[in-house]
This record gives sequence, C-alpha cells and structure tokens, in this order.
Amino acid sequence: MANRFVIADPNKCIGCYTCMATCVMQHQQVGLQAYPRLQVTHTLAGTMPIQCRHCEDASCVAVCPVKAITVKNQSVQVNETVCIGCKMCALACPFGAITPYGTLPPSLREVGTFEQYAYVPEPRWPAPLYGQSGQTTELHPLLAWRIGQKAVAVKCDLCQFDEAGPACVRSCPTKALRLVEGEDIERLSKLKRSGAAIETASNVE
Amino acid sequence: MTLGGGAMTNTIPEISQYSDVVFIIGSNTGECHPLIAKHVIQAQSRGAKLIVADPRMTDMANKADIWLRLPVGHNITLLNGLMHVIIKEKLYKAEFIQEHADGFDDLTRAVEDYTPAYVEDLTGISQQDLIAAARLYAGAGAAVILYCMGVTQFTYGTGTVASVSNLAVITGNLGRPGTGVCPLRGQNNVQGACDMGGLPNVFPGYLSVTDEKHRARFEKAWNTQLPPKPGLRIPEVADAVHQGKVKALYVFGENPVMSDPDNNHFIHALQELELLVVQDIFLTETARLAHVVLPAAGWAEKEGSFSNTERRVQRVRKAIEPPGNAKTDWWIFCALAQKMGAKGFEYQNTQEIWDELRQVVPEKWGGMTYARLDQVRGLNWPCPNEEHAGTPILYVGGKFTTPTGKANLKAVLFHPTGVAEDKIKEFKNPIVGKIAELPDREYAFTLTTGRRGYHYHTGTMTRKSLPLNQVGPEQMVEVNPQDAAVLEIEDGDYVKLTTRRGNIAVKVWVTDRVPEKTVFTTFHFWEANVNELTVKDTDPLSVIPEYKVAAVKIEKISLAEAKALYLEKAQKYRVELEQEVVAEMQKGWRV
Repeated sequence: MANRFVIADPNKCIGCYTCMATCVMQHQQVGLQAYPRLQVTHTLAGTMPIQCRHCEDASCVAVCPVKAITVKNQSVQVNETVCIGCKMCALACPFGAITPYGTLPPSLREVGTFEQYAYVPEPRWPAPLYGQSGQTTELHPLLAWRIGQKAVAVKCDLCQFDEAGPACVRSCPTKALRLVEGEDIERLSKLKRSGAAIETASNVE
Repeated sequence: MTLGGGAMTNTIPEISQYSDVVFIIGSNTGECHPLIAKHVIQAQSRGAKLIVADPRMTDMANKADIWLRLPVGHNITLLNGLMHVIIKEKLYKAEFIQEHADGFDDLTRAVEDYTPAYVEDLTGISQQDLIAAARLYAGAGAAVILYCMGVTQFTYGTGTVASVSNLAVITGNLGRPGTGVCPLRGQNNVQGACDMGGLPNVFPGYLSVTDEKHRARFEKAWNTQLPPKPGLRIPEVADAVHQGKVKALYVFGENPVMSDPDNNHFIHALQELELLVVQDIFLTETARLAHVVLPAAGWAEKEGSFSNTERRVQRVRKAIEPPGNAKTDWWIFCALAQKMGAKGFEYQNTQEIWDELRQVVPEKWGGMTYARLDQVRGLNWPCPNEEHAGTPILYVGGKFTTPTGKANLKAVLFHPTGVAEDKIKEFKNPIVGKIAELPDREYAFTLTTGRRGYHYHTGTMTRKSLPLNQVGPEQMVEVNPQDAAVLEIEDGDYVKLTTRRGNIAVKVWVTDRVPEKTVFTTFHFWEANVNELTVKDTDPLSVIPEYKVAAVKIEKISLAEAKALYLEKAQKYRVELEQEVVAEMQKGWRV
C-alpha cells in the first residue's frame, strides 16, 4: 500500500499560519521538537504549506547513516532520539521538508549564555545573531551550527502519536489541508482509469 | 458623514451565502481576518468573483479573479477610476441614486478626470483590468466591499472611506443581503469599545458630546455635569503633553510606546508627564515607563460582552480567576472613582452596567438583555426592544441614518503631490488627499507597514506564546527580488532601515509579496519596531496617522552591526525590567 501524506490545496489556503502554530503545539505536548513541520510558502503562483510527501523511495531514508529514518505505518518516520544531526537527509530531500532543528541543553539555558534578555525568542536554527561568536558562518546554511545545540532532523510525522490524525488538517479554517491515504490513491487511479477508458471508447468511430 | 454610521453594514455569513462579487481593498484578509477569508473562499467556490486591490501580493490577491496591484497610497485614484468607468458606461443605479443619495453631480465632476488612461499613467494598473473590475463590480446582483487599515491609515483615509461608500451607493450595493460596505475591525471588541463611547467625541451609541440634547440625556442618567468639548485623540496627546496641557495620562489596554507613529516623539512626551498610570495584563513597553502599574484581568478572566466587527454583541464568561491581585478593568475604574469621591459607581457586576446602557441608549441595545444574549449566539445592534430580532443589515430600502435620510456622495480628489487649488475650488467641501512623505533620492524606497498572521499588534501577548514564536520568531522586511538584486542583498541578510525619524535593523525576506521600490514590515517586535520610522502626519478629520507610507533608505549591514542595534533597542525599551519583574514574581513576590 502506498504511503500516506498531507497535502494542501493552494486554491483554498489563505496563508493564515494556523497549521504551523498547531503543529508546534501538538509536538511540544508530546515532548517532540517544538518546531513547525510544515512551512507556509508564498509564491506568485500561489500559497500553500509545504511538508513531507512521505516518498515511497525516500532519499532521506537512503542517506541516513544511523537508520534513524524508517518507513513504517505507511509513512516515513524519524526517530528524534536516534538522529545524530548529520543533516544529510535535509540536503537530500527534494521538497525542503526536513529541517534540522534543536534545543539548547537545559544547563546552557539556565546560565543564560544565549538569551541575554527575556522574551527574545529563541532564534530559529540556524540563527547566529544571539550566538556567542556573533559571526556569520561561511558554511551552507544547512550545515551551520551553534555551540551547545543538538539539532535533529525534524519533519512531518503525520501526528502518528495521535489517533485523531494530523493536527494541521483539523485546524485549517478553510479545509485546505487533507490527508491522502494510500487507499485513496488506488481508488482515485481506478476512477481515472475508468474515466479514461470511457472517454477513449466513446470516441472510437 | 456619508451613510450615517461607522460599522459593517452587513454580516459576515452573507459573504459566503449571497455575495456575487467580493471587492477587497486595503485588507490582508487571509492573514489578518482568516475567519472572514474563509467566507470569501466559500463564496468563490459557489462561483462568486473576487476583486482585490492591494500593492502587496496577499493571499487573497493571489486568489483574485482581478488583482489590481496599485502602488501604495493610490486607493482614491483607483476608486475614482472605477467610478469614472461606471458613470461613463452608465452602469450606475440611477433610480437608487435619485431616491436615496445627494451629491451625485459633484461626484460625477470629481471623477471625470480619472479616465482609465490617467489611472494607468499614475498607478500602472492596465486600463483593461480597471474597466473589467468596474464592470464586474457594478454588474453584480450583490457586491460587497471589505476594507481595512490599508484604506484608513493615510492622511486622507477619510477620503478613501468616503470613496468606498460612494462606489457602493452609486451601484446600489447597500441594504440588501450580500452587499454592503464592511470595515473589518482588527480586534475582538474594538467595535464594542467604539459603541460604548470609547472615543473622544461621542457618548455610548455614537451620540455626539457637542449636541446639547444628547448631553442632557446622559447628564440626567448619570446625575452629573458633562463637558461639551470633545477630548484629545491619541496622536494629539504627545503634542498636548509637550505644550503642558496634559500632565497625567492613564493608559489601559493599549501599548502606545510601540504602536504610535514616530514613537520617539511619544516616548519623550511620556517622560515629561507628572503621572503615568498603565493598566494592563503584562508589563508592556509603555508600562515599564509608568509611575503606577495596575494589574488587569485577561479576556478569559472576566464577565461581560464583546461586540464584533459585524455589530454582533456576544456574551463572554469567566473561565478562570485572575491571578494574584489582578482585577477586571471595570472594577478598577469603579474603585478609583469611588476613592475620588464620585457617585454612581456602585456597580456589583457587569449586568448592572449593561442594563444601565440598555436604559440610556435603548434605540441601539434596549432589547439585548443578558437572558436573551445567553440564549442566542449574539444579536446585532440596533435592537431597540425585547421583541426585536436585531439588525443584521443596515440601511434596508436605502434608509440611511444621516440627518437627511439620504446617503451623501462626497467629492474626493487625490494626487500624490497634491491637487491644484483651482480644482479644489470647483467643489463644495471636497476631501483632498496627498502623500505626506514621498521617496526622494536619499530615502528612495516606500515603506509600508502592517501585521503578520502569527503576531498580534505590539506582541505583548503573542510573543509570550511558544508556538507563535516558532512560526514567527523575528522581524522581517519584505523586499522585492529585483530590488534585492540591485542592492546586492540576499534572503536572510540584515539591513538597516532609516527614515527621517529613526532606524532599525531587520532581517530581509526576498519575496514577490511586495512590488518594486516598496518594502513592508511590522510593529510586532520591539527590537525592530517599524513605528520608530513611521510618519506622524494624520488625517485632519479622523486623526489616524499615515502608517502606510514613509520614505525609507535601505543599507546592508553586518551581523555585528545588527546585534549592536538590537542591544541599543533593548536598553531603550527597558527589556531587562520585565525580566526582573518576571523573576521576582516567580519567587513568589506579588505586585
């Protein structure tokens, strides 16, 4: 059976970012990285959130050196505790759907090495502005690093820990997001085949 | 002034149910009013057409059947252009104008010069698009106009609002389901605050303080003398402080240090005050400069009612107790008034206050008892008695609430550098607009400002939310790819934005969302607050500042320079003070 995935309809997406905020909350509550696993993307052609397509022959799975990314339950899943943060999956992903994101160890947070002021939001990875060195890195952004930060691959997991399914789909005010099941694809393909057959057959002289 | 009231004429669900054409101007509905945008999307899927006028590629602009990408500040040019086409092609509703409007001749003469060719010349909007939009809007069975701060926050905002109203009146798009002029209010209860007289010139129910009849009504109800002179409007306060006319300021539910234009001017004024009291749920940038801070209760911690953008009054009930010594706003005001020896502030609960309002202004709220509001999902004012079902649609049958009962069509003239005196003299009381600060050689870009979906106003609340901060962790300035190439800046670089008022360091977002020579950023972040840059020129009638246009200079800066500027701002807004208070409170210290 084909993998499941969440996809947005750009004709319905109004770019309100509700899905991203819901995603952060949902994952924070179960102790996973509090980072949005889908990114609302604005282009002249249209606006829609971009997230993991749960590829059948996923390049991220192929490049992972520690087998932290596996295909299970008709989806591609990262084990955040196994991931060593090598970022190869992010480089390999054709959709930009994997973001290396990490938290600072609690000790560094408490000392306040990184946050000089309250309510300076913890910068997005990689955000060297509040870093100790104060220097930009010459490296490719995906390879940039901050001292004391453990980054792991963060990507859409279809909220597999929640029986109600992906939280983004439920929170979208215009119902632009939907979960496509493997069965849906088969059923759709079958329907389209019928349509194609009918059209061709009825056009035969 | 034009129709008789200052509120949405129709309700939100009508958009998805009845509107054939939705015309959005100066509103980023998708990000700032997603639930209203939802109705627009539903209307589209029903077959309704969408026209969007916006310089920015908002998500609604992207979905529009016709997107009129006008330059910042040219709303009047566009609206006059649309009306020119409608009048020339005789697409207006002559009968409706005849019976229900005054001033059509003046309007016809005012829009005469705004030919499609002239509009194209000024704005770059193709004549074809302008004519198509005019035909689409005027030809609709029911067309609704949604507008927001992109219409009002100019020195000629009143003129633009009058133009919007002109357009709706001449096409007869008022008083029927799915039509109307709909100003979208940005806050859950800003409509309610205005309804209750939270404005310097009116009592509850928009009854003018200068009118003896209205004053007498409230003097009788409140058993006191009331001043006949309107008070100051927010942008006038700073100057009044500088002139020594205002010595004490009481701020609640507002963070003007962040939200006032040219805020350095405002901060200097605060420092001259003898007393600054701030009542808020958090220690805002304004509260940190206060002599006295009164802790207020949040929305989930109080009883009462909110009135939303469609004039719908809805009950709000307390879910949790306020923390510590925090009290609801009404309780604090009453306690303060009693301490000052004032009588008539002995309310026990919000219902007593509400019932007093119902008695004093029955024509709007008389029929809205708490018992009724508890049963239904809100009622739209006016609702004069308990049998009345509320009024979802205003001006049914073309009955306007102006003194004459007819809509006033106003002549509105605009040119970015000003309209010739001779032209202005041709009209009786026209509204005339020009842009206060145009780009020049040194400040070569146009700066426009607004909000993003994930943060709310000055970030007082939303920046304390982890999910929202993860979606929008930092300030960004939108720069067009063409301009970025010329300036040799890349996505993620830092730039310094400088105007004649101040400067900020911001991260660059290279995107097609803004047109060339125009940049956009927000006022959510103290470390890069765009209101250090905005101009404080205001509309002479509404005194709304021109937040939407300023001339700005862009320079690429290094990370170290950006960091230095951020640290400077941290000192300016005394960020460490909030940190200290939070730390103290966590130790169990109470305010």
